[in-house]
Amino acid sequence: MGQTIVYFVVSILICVSFFAAVDHFLMDAQGLDFWYLLRK
Amino acid sequence: MGSVTRTKLMSVMALCAMIGLLLMPILVAIPALADGGAPAADAKKEGGEAKVEKGKDVYYKTEGIVSGPPAPKTTDSEKDYPRYNFESRVLLWFANQQHLYYGSFVLAVPIFCMVIEFMGVVSKDKAMAKRYDQLAYDFIKISLTAYSLTAILGGILIFTFLTLYPAFFQYLSGIFRPVMHIYALMFVAESGTLYIYYYGWDKMKEGFLKWIHLSMSVVLNVIGTILMFLANSWIGFMMSPAGVDEQGRYLGNIWHVIHTALWNPLNLHRILGNMAFGGGVVAAYAAYRFLSAKTDEERAHYDWMGYIAMALGVAFLIPLPFAGYWLMREVYAYRQQMGITLMGGLLAWLFIIQATMIGILFLSTNYYLWQALGRMRGAEKYQRYIKYLVFLLTCGYLVFITPHTIVMTPAELKAMGGQQHPVLGNYGVMSAKNGGINVIITTTVLSFVWYMRGNKVSTVSWAKFGNIFMGCFFFFAYLNIIMLAVYGYYIPANVRVGLSVPQVATTLSCLFFMFALNSVMMKGAKQMGPIEWGKISARSQYALIMLATAFTWMMGLMGYIRSSVRLFWHVNEIMRDNSPWAYTHTVGFAANMISANVLFFWISIMFVFWLGALAAKKAPVEAKAAVPGRAAAPAVGH
Repeated sequence: MGQTIVYFVVSILICVSFFAAVDHFLMDAQGLDFWYLLRK
Repeated sequence: MGSVTRTKLMSVMALCAMIGLLLMPILVAIPALADGGAPAADAKKEGGEAKVEKGKDVYYKTEGIVSGPPAPKTTDSEKDYPRYNFESRVLLWFANQQHLYYGSFVLAVPIFCMVIEFMGVVSKDKAMAKRYDQLAYDFIKISLTAYSLTAILGGILIFTFLTLYPAFFQYLSGIFRPVMHIYALMFVAESGTLYIYYYGWDKMKEGFLKWIHLSMSVVLNVIGTILMFLANSWIGFMMSPAGVDEQGRYLGNIWHVIHTALWNPLNLHRILGNMAFGGGVVAAYAAYRFLSAKTDEERAHYDWMGYIAMALGVAFLIPLPFAGYWLMREVYAYRQQMGITLMGGLLAWLFIIQATMIGILFLSTNYYLWQALGRMRGAEKYQRYIKYLVFLLTCGYLVFITPHTIVMTPAELKAMGGQQHPVLGNYGVMSAKNGGINVIITTTVLSFVWYMRGNKVSTVSWAKFGNIFMGCFFFFAYLNIIMLAVYGYYIPANVRVGLSVPQVATTLSCLFFMFALNSVMMKGAKQMGPIEWGKISARSQYALIMLATAFTWMMGLMGYIRSSVRLFWHVNEIMRDNSPWAYTHTVGFAANMISANVLFFWISIMFVFWLGALAAKKAPVEAKAAVPGRAAAPAVGH
């Protein structure tokens, strides 16, 4: 059970970081700000 | 000299001859290309001081020597538009569409053939290699009869142009003179290569000769692709002319005329579209043979053939919407008004129909894959989750097909409180639609992943982590796509427009990373049982036929949209269409015309299939035995 939780936590961390990076860098590459709403 | 050495020598010579045929048109064309494919400025002949007139390229904005006549200013007369007592444009539309259907098919199938033959050559499993080889042979056999029909339809198309639109065709052929000659020579090269490739199959079935044969398929496909690129340059020029001045006078640079603003996006979009279409047609052929099969052996073979053709077709269907976005982006960059006419104006409703067809394509593919799970022992574990995929697909599909505005009577408009529905209207914008289509594609990827691991259990030590990671990856991919779609409502349009890129990247990440991870996890996996080819419901085969019909209909629709965007121009902003038919048809008329084209294509291709089946039946027993891998037994792999 403990091992499963660790696997879930690691997977979630990797996935969230990956998709956040995809969003940020691909918007940045177009000269756009992904975090526009937060900065406003 | 031994007979084997002689055969090898002959094969190498045949391959060299093909490469020679491939290069010949280019070598022949070099002198023509060097002077721009047009007679040197006639002014020079006058002797003494040559009077050279210069013009400015409408697209590249470079200066060049005027080397051709201006675009003709046509009038609505018998001289410029000879006619029967019928709309000439409809005749041309029909001839063009049929030629394009067959052309796409015969260009796509040899590419499949090359891929499948290569899979057979590199396969370590001898029985599997033989089956791949038989499959590739079956593919090329179908395309051979279709090839003759393509040439005949090409002839009909040229005669239709010459007799009904002589002024326009004279202008276009004047501009593209060297390109058209190269095209004709390439066609000769394509025919020669195709026939040697087909008839040399049995003679070159093993060892070194097989590699020579495979190389021939590469040459064949290079020629085919160049042919298509050249034909694309004509439609690219008609939509976004370059290499001419504002009067339409050729400025001596043939590369500018070929390499117009939309040429490359058209090339990519068409090659992917052809592949998807070719896969669909072959899958329908396999479905037809499956449904009419008399023995289990035959059923197993055509079930497998249908699956491979469908998988190849869908592999090209998945990136197709992204190539479409690139094409539209370039259209907007070239002329914003043209983009608006397409996506938000006169032709916008056709895009709603297009979205419906795209949705049908993906729904059919998913349905086929779910049915296909039935032929695998162990795949039952996924059946109970299919309803969730249906839910995701339905939601994505409904959002994707929601129109922005609809045609209404004043009373309806008043009742609804405006042009947009207070709830559904929110889904009729690009932000939501991008989310919808990406959810659909991601779900299709997930269905494929399930199918690939249907009868297998991973035996790698990290299988548990792998499964959890894959689940999380898909979950967060869906979340990211939907979050980006919702986010688009809260930010300005200039920022929102960029959100489609991470959305697409999310979908492609699922496609590439999850397929790769799944393949690694399933290496040496425990099989719950073999794939029982042929043991699939008849419904699945109708899904394949549906897939092919939807491809055909959508191809007709998109061709019509692309062509109609020129409105009343033969060559956009250069040569005006002054025929009585220079108007845009109603959506209903266009849909009927597309349906008639689809119907004709399928009736005629059924005839081609029937001919193929007839040849197989009539073949003597010895000849049958000589065909590689004739005895088709259920394959064990995907």
